[in-house]
Amino acid sequence: MSIEKLNVEISEAIVNLDKEKALELAKRAIASGLNLLDVVEHGFGEGIRKIGDLWDEGEVFLPELMLGGNIMQEAMELLLPHLKEHSESFNRGVVVIATIEGDIHSIGKTIVGTMLSANGYDVHDLGADVPAEKIVDEAINANANVIGVSALLTTTMTGQKKVVDILKERNIRSKFKVILGGAPVSRKWVEECGADGYADSAVDAVKLVKELSSSK
Amino acid sequence: MIFNEWLEDDTKTILFDGGMGSEIIKRGLKPGKLPDLLNIEEPQVIRSIQQAYYEAGSEMVQSNTFGSCYLNLKNHNLEEQIVEINQKALEIINSIRPINHLIVGDIGPSSVFKPPIGDASIDMWQSSFKKQVEILNSGVDLWHIETISDIDEMTAAIRAIKEVSSKPIISSMTYKKTKRGFFTIMGDSLEKCLDIQMNEGADVVGANCTLGSNEMIDLMKEFKDLTDMPVSIKPNAGKPRLEGTTTIYDQTVQEFTQDIIKIINLGAKIVGGCCGTTPHTIQEIKKKMK
Repeated sequence: MSIEKLNVEISEAIVNLDKEKALELAKRAIASGLNLLDVVEHGFGEGIRKIGDLWDEGEVFLPELMLGGNIMQEAMELLLPHLKEHSESFNRGVVVIATIEGDIHSIGKTIVGTMLSANGYDVHDLGADVPAEKIVDEAINANANVIGVSALLTTTMTGQKKVVDILKERNIRSKFKVILGGAPVSRKWVEECGADGYADSAVDAVKLVKELSSSK
Repeated sequence: MIFNEWLEDDTKTILFDGGMGSEIIKRGLKPGKLPDLLNIEEPQVIRSIQQAYYEAGSEMVQSNTFGSCYLNLKNHNLEEQIVEINQKALEIINSIRPINHLIVGDIGPSSVFKPPIGDASIDMWQSSFKKQVEILNSGVDLWHIETISDIDEMTAAIRAIKEVSSKPIISSMTYKKTKRGFFTIMGDSLEKCLDIQMNEGADVVGANCTLGSNEMIDLMKEFKDLTDMPVSIKPNAGKPRLEGTTTIYDQTVQEFTQDIIKIINLGAKIVGGCCGTTPHTIQEIKKKMK
């Protein structure tokens, strides 16, 4: 089977949430000695991107999104040992992501994290209700390129600004790109915070991180 | 029971309350703090909001217990205070309830999801809701289960109430609008939700939160096509945004009120507001309803 055809089948298996088939195709790609980076990017990654688009369009819902992400993760566990020699080139960067202190809304953040992982980023998901100081400390420890801060409440949004303020206080603002997420976040708020960008959907979040990473 | 009389009176539209969380936040609730904790720490804040709703024209107002089922309290490490938080909520609202006005036991989501997202089950949810219902049952006239996005969680809440209480139940889901119609984020269609809510024995079905008043008009049309049951509608006041440190809702009270009148004309039995609506909103709806 050509790699193009395999990628189409993998993408379809992900969209159909057919775990067995997706994992079998991953094994076949390994056994055939195919370019696994290509398979991750254009097979599995493409499938996840399609599910993300279907979520935005209201064609699939939260359970499908999570299942798709889970299948992707299992497939990555199979593929990663074989990808090791290429891992540098596959790994696009390190993203530390969290929902800010006081806010336990974690779904949007988790979706964005899953999509970023699926797209080749090394994602450190710190969970929800995380203090601004901790987000910054973890970003330093993980040597992150991008910090993503989610807030679903207008009362907790102020914590997003706090992350940027702490980076400025410590004179390390330029080391990180800071992106914001959450329903009440607007372009104006990003400017007020001095952050680098925001996205309305998980798909746009991936695009944003890609843009910011390449603008370095 | 007044509520049942109201339900049977075809000429009557019941005016419910508006936003509670957004009103508490205006009065300086610290980020991250569970609003229900104010029942203990600052009962006068809760009392003044509920009093303002009754005075504005709300015929029934909810207890400040949205986040006080066992599982949600556990998320905040407050599960040991479940009795105190819920009991205080009853004391507060009972102290200011005008005659012939009702107290509604507010039951909100558990914040725990079923697989593949979380590990909750109907049994787990039911036992969590039951713990709360047992405390509230003596002091409420009816129930409002609201802002639920998984029909299985709603099923659990209705069953929990029915185990303990024979009081009427308003069963209100939260929907998002998609190209294919209205669904919960878990993918439950409006039709599926209505079937299950009816079979489980809800007295009133409804929708609250997520959608603004304008989108709720479209949702109300679908309710009308799908069910003869009484319908409760509590829209948000549009989408909030932050200016400096103040939360702003761009939709005017006039726009919201006009939409509510359309929703009443489409056949809603109970109307009120959710996030961002205030006692002033309720007052304006009351004026227009006359």
